[in-house]
Amino acid sequence: MLDLIVSTLTQGLIYALISFGVYITYTILDFPDLGVDGSFPLGAAVTAVMLVAGANPYLTLLAAIAAGALSGLATGIIHVKLHVRNLLAGIITQTALFSINLQIAGSNLTVDRSSDTIFTAAPTMALFGGLSLLARKLAVTLVVVVVVKLVLDAYFRTKSGLLLRAVGDNSTLVTTLAKNMGNMKILGLMISNALVALAGCIVCHEQRSFSATMGTGQLVFGLATVIIGITLFRRLSFVKGTTAVIVGSVLYKACIQVAISVGLPANLLKLITAALFLLVLVCSGRKGEEIIHA
Amino acid sequence: MKNNTFKKLLTAALALTMTASLAACGSTGAASSAASAGASAAASGAASDAHYTIGLAQYGEHASLDNCREGFLQGLTDSGLLTADNITLDYQNAQFDDSIDTQIAQSFSAENCDLMVGIATPSAIACYAAAEDKNIPVIFTAVTDPEAANLTAGNCTGTSDKLPVEAQLDLIRQMQPDAKTIGIIYTTSEPNSVSAIAEYKEKAGDYGFTIDEIGVTAQSEVTQAADKLIADKVDCLSNLTDNNVVGVLSSILEKTNEAGIPVYGSEVEQVKIGCVAAAGIDYYQLGIQTGIMAAKILTGATTCDDTPFETISEYGIYVNSEALAAMNITVPDEIAAKAIESTEA
Repeated sequence: MLDLIVSTLTQGLIYALISFGVYITYTILDFPDLGVDGSFPLGAAVTAVMLVAGANPYLTLLAAIAAGALSGLATGIIHVKLHVRNLLAGIITQTALFSINLQIAGSNLTVDRSSDTIFTAAPTMALFGGLSLLARKLAVTLVVVVVVKLVLDAYFRTKSGLLLRAVGDNSTLVTTLAKNMGNMKILGLMISNALVALAGCIVCHEQRSFSATMGTGQLVFGLATVIIGITLFRRLSFVKGTTAVIVGSVLYKACIQVAISVGLPANLLKLITAALFLLVLVCSGRKGEEIIHA
Repeated sequence: MKNNTFKKLLTAALALTMTASLAACGSTGAASSAASAGASAAASGAASDAHYTIGLAQYGEHASLDNCREGFLQGLTDSGLLTADNITLDYQNAQFDDSIDTQIAQSFSAENCDLMVGIATPSAIACYAAAEDKNIPVIFTAVTDPEAANLTAGNCTGTSDKLPVEAQLDLIRQMQPDAKTIGIIYTTSEPNSVSAIAEYKEKAGDYGFTIDEIGVTAQSEVTQAADKLIADKVDCLSNLTDNNVVGVLSSILEKTNEAGIPVYGSEVEQVKIGCVAAAGIDYYQLGIQTGIMAAKILTGATTCDDTPFETISEYGIYVNSEALAAMNITVPDEIAAKAIESTEA
C-alpha cells in the first residue's frame, strides 16, 4: 500500500510540471495552448536520444527545457506575429511537433537499463543512495517540482512576472505601461512549454522510453488538474496557484489509481475517472461552468 | 521493503516445498524434469497449493490483443504446472494511454505481484520499468522487436509477433501471379510497422513486387491513404499489425471491395473480417506459447535468464473463400491444402 502511495505521488508530482505550464498559459494568459500535446513528447524525445547517446542525465533536463521553450516560441510567433488564433496556433505547433519528435527520436525509443538516469546517476545516489529506487524517484521528483515552484513563485513577484499576470487579467494595463503584450504572451508560452517539456523529460527518465503518442490528452490533463486545484483552494487565498495545481495533479493521478486498484472493468476506466473528477469539483462547492469563466 | 523480503523468503520456501514434493513423486532427477515434464507429473506435484498473483497489463482493446490475453490464460493451465486455483489474475487495460499504462504497472509492483505480463510493446515497457526495483519477472507478448525495445536484459522474456514477411510475399505471388504493386498503409509512429515496411521493401524485389507505401500519423488519415492507393491502381493491399490501421480495416475493405482490389491480412482476425488471405500469426497461439513460458518461470521451473524470447516459427495460412471468390482469385492447390478457412462465424 505504501509503495502504491509513493508511486502515485511520484506520478502526480512529475505531471504537476505540466499543470504549472497549463496554469501559466490557461489561467494567467487565458490561452488554451494545444501545443502542450507536442512539447511533452518533445522533452521525452530529446531526453531519450541524449540518454541513448550516453549524455549526462542531468544535462537532459536543461536540453528539454530549451527544446520546450523553442516550441513555445514557435506557438507564440505563429499567434502573435502571424496573427493566427490561439487554439489554431497551438494545433499547428502540436501537429508539426509530431513529425519533429519522430525525426529527433527516429521512432519510439527505449533507453537501456544500464544507462544512468537522473534517478540512478552518481550525484543522486550520493544524496539518496540509501533509499529504494521507488523512494528515490519520489525524492528526486519532489526536489525538481519544489525548485520549479519556488522559482515560479519568485518570478511572478518580479516586474516581468507581474506584467505576465496582467496580460490575461487586464491587457489594457500592459499596453498603458507601454509594454508589448505580444512579447509577454510569447514569453509566457516559452516558460509554459519549457515546463511541459521538462515533465516529458522526467517521464522519459522514469519510464526509460519515448513514445510518439505519449502527448495525447496532456493538455486536457493539465486543464483538469488546474481547474481541480484552483477550485479546491479558491476560498483559501493564501494558497498559491502553483501549490493548488500540484494538489490538483496528485488528486488526478490518485483518482486514476483508485479506479485501477478497485479493479473496475477496463472499458469503464475513463468513465469512472471522469465521474471522480466531477465528484471532486462538485464537493468543492462550485460548478464547472462557473469555474471556467472565473 | 520488509514485505519484499518476506515474499522472497516465501517464494524460496515454496520452491523448496515444490522440489521436495516432486522428488517425493518418485522420479530421479526431479529438478531437471520439472521443466520438461508433461501435464501428469507436474499436475500432481507443482499445482498443489502454491498461489501466485499475476498482473496483466494490456495496452488497449482490439481482437489481436484480446486473443493474446485469452491464449495466455489458456497457456498457463495448458502448461500443466498451474490450475485456475493457483492463480489470482489482476487484469488491467490501459485503453491506449501511456500514462495509465505506467500507473497500472506501478500498482502491480506495489502489490508485489509474482509476475507481470505486458501485452503489446508500451505495456511491456511500462511493466519492465516498474519491475526494476523489485526484480519481479516480466513476460511480454505481442512485441515485434524485443531487442529494439531493450526488453532482452534483466528479469524479462516473452514472445515476439514479428510478421512472416517473406511468407506473405510468397503467398501474394502465388495468389496473383501477375501482380506488380503492393500497397501498404502504416503508422509512422508504430515501430512494429516501420520495421515491417523496411523488410517488405528489402524483400519485395525478390518476389517481383514494388511496394507503394503510405505513412499516416493518425487513424483519421487511414481511409484517405486507402483512397490514394486505390487511385494509384495498386494490384493489392497488404496489411500489417498496425494498431491504427487495423482499427479501421473494415472501412478500408469497403473501399477496396468496391474497387476490386484484394487486401491481404497479417493474422487470422483480419481474414475473418474480410481480407482475402494471410500468411500470419494466430495471436491466440502466441498467447498460449507465452502462457506456458510464464507458468514455467512462475513455478520456478526455469528463469527469465535461461529463457530467450521466442518467435513463432510455424505460420498459418488463412483464407477467406468468400472474399477470394469476390475478387475472382483461385487458390493454387498447394496453398489450398494447408490453408485454414477463416470466415466470420
